[in-house]
Amino acid sequence: MASPHAAFTSSDTWNSVSPRLISARRITLGLTFILVAAGVAVLLILPEVPRAVGWSVAGVAVIAFAWLWWLIGRRVRSYGYAERDDDLLVRSGILVRRLVIVPYGRMQLVDVTAGPIDRMLGVTTVQLHTAAATTDATIPGLEPMIAAALRDRLARRGEMRGAGL
Amino acid sequence: MALGIRVPGPGRIDQHGHTRVHPVTPLIHAVSTIPVIIVTLIALSGPLVSAFGDWPLVGIIAATLVGCSAVAALSWRHRSYWFDEDGDFRMDSGILRRQQRRLQLSRLQSIDVVQPLAARLFSMAAVTLEVAGGSDSRVQLRYLPLVEARELRIAVLARAGGLDHAAGEAPEDVIAFVPPGQLALSLLLRTSTAGLVVLTALTLFGTVFTEGWGGIPLAIVTGGVPAFLIATEFMKYFNFTVAESPDGLRLRFGLVQTQTRTVPAGRVQAVSLVEPLLWRRQGWVRVQLNVAGVDTGNDKGEETILTPVSDRVTAARLIERVLPGVDLDDLIWCMAPPRARWRSPVQWGQLAVAWTDVVFAARAGRITRHRAYILHARTQSVRLTNGPWERALGLASVHVDSTKGPVRISGLRLDSEFAAQVAQEQADRARTARARDTGVGPAGPQVPDSPHGND
Repeated sequence: MASPHAAFTSSDTWNSVSPRLISARRITLGLTFILVAAGVAVLLILPEVPRAVGWSVAGVAVIAFAWLWWLIGRRVRSYGYAERDDDLLVRSGILVRRLVIVPYGRMQLVDVTAGPIDRMLGVTTVQLHTAAATTDATIPGLEPMIAAALRDRLARRGEMRGAGL
Repeated sequence: MALGIRVPGPGRIDQHGHTRVHPVTPLIHAVSTIPVIIVTLIALSGPLVSAFGDWPLVGIIAATLVGCSAVAALSWRHRSYWFDEDGDFRMDSGILRRQQRRLQLSRLQSIDVVQPLAARLFSMAAVTLEVAGGSDSRVQLRYLPLVEARELRIAVLARAGGLDHAAGEAPEDVIAFVPPGQLALSLLLRTSTAGLVVLTALTLFGTVFTEGWGGIPLAIVTGGVPAFLIATEFMKYFNFTVAESPDGLRLRFGLVQTQTRTVPAGRVQAVSLVEPLLWRRQGWVRVQLNVAGVDTGNDKGEETILTPVSDRVTAARLIERVLPGVDLDDLIWCMAPPRARWRSPVQWGQLAVAWTDVVFAARAGRITRHRAYILHARTQSVRLTNGPWERALGLASVHVDSTKGPVRISGLRLDSEFAAQVAQEQADRARTARARDTGVGPAGPQVPDSPHGND
């Protein structure tokens, strides 16, 4: 079956996000895994816990880690945004695919954020807010220069087309 | 409305010519805490008496009373309100840390007159003003004599509307009233309460029939919860009256605590009609609203209901007031394809979207039917979602985002090509509608006031 997003992908120029976001997310995953591994090691060392339990937990953790590792790559590649004349399109997700259309006139504010790992790798998240809490327009993994430029462009267009509530 | 204890109110005007709230205010606050104090004293009288002895305890209580009264009196002295030179509302408060609030009345969202039980004893009322903006955009004046509260409300509304405050109260015209009997029956017939009542009956029957009494505690829970819910909602929406006035629809309701709310017509963002299964025979609906700037954070639904129950004709009349020019029957519904039954086996036959040149609508739900409407000009953003199960069936869902509130507009499980088309077109419709919308908000110079605005 054709993805419904095909209708949008055809005519518009989609920008993808920086592949460095993959590294950033994998580092976070790796750090989490170290904590999990420490927990599993405790399980294996404690004499009260049967060996079988310890090893099965370790097995599950390793499988989950490998799956998430692979998933991060696909997820990051699934992000995309397109700036059209009157609105911004943001798409994301593999399992549940989402596409948001935000008219420039409805943007209330644009957030630009970067955590410590993000900063290390030079990726930034741009998030658009409208008056609706359900609007979920987040573009992660932009290079800082691109993010700042995008923010300024969005702000300018929002100002030009602002229409109040 | 009032139980008629009248108290003189000296010292209402302070040295700056600002008005203070009524001096009986601390007493009302005290009265409303009496039940708590009594319960505490009864519960703890034994340990307290043994800890302090009889007379010291009386002394402590007296000292506490004097202390609280002093603080309350000071707090009263330092709280005043007035209209400033710009015609905006200001309030001073605080004993040690002085605070001054200024409400820009051109941004007024609502002004409510509320009468809690303790205030009703003294014919007093609280006035709540709310302006558009952040979370801290609300001022409560407690307490004013009821007459004065109403006059203040009129004055504020007149100033907010840019009129002279002597313009008098806008005449109002009752357009809907919910009789207590209808309200009670409708609450009983809601799907959740009716289900619980049936469950209780079955449990009781089973318990009596088998003569094992274990079901009784369960029946108390399943019967008690709906009884409690019905009682609370009944008291809250008792004598629900909708009146029309030039400043919007005015809602008045409540048994113990009377509330007045004004829904400014231009601020309604989205509307939904809810029809539980057992209401359909009577043709009843509940109408909910998303109103811009009303924070539904703590008391959910309370500020966003247009009518708790009404027949369809009345509901249509009410909706016409908040969504002018919208004909809800004049819609051609585009149904979800039959294969949607594999994803939503119960409600698939109800899932549909529709639109005209002013409004977008979506419906869902088989047992409790929901129909939601949003004006194109109020569309915040449009989303398209496509889960794995939907993808396998070639389906997708369209969501039209509105401001915070109980109304969600989602066209679920549509054909995926069609859904994409609807999403795209809705974004376009929203844009064109906004371009010609000169109704509310800071209409900047970019909004063309075109003479052919209704094409």
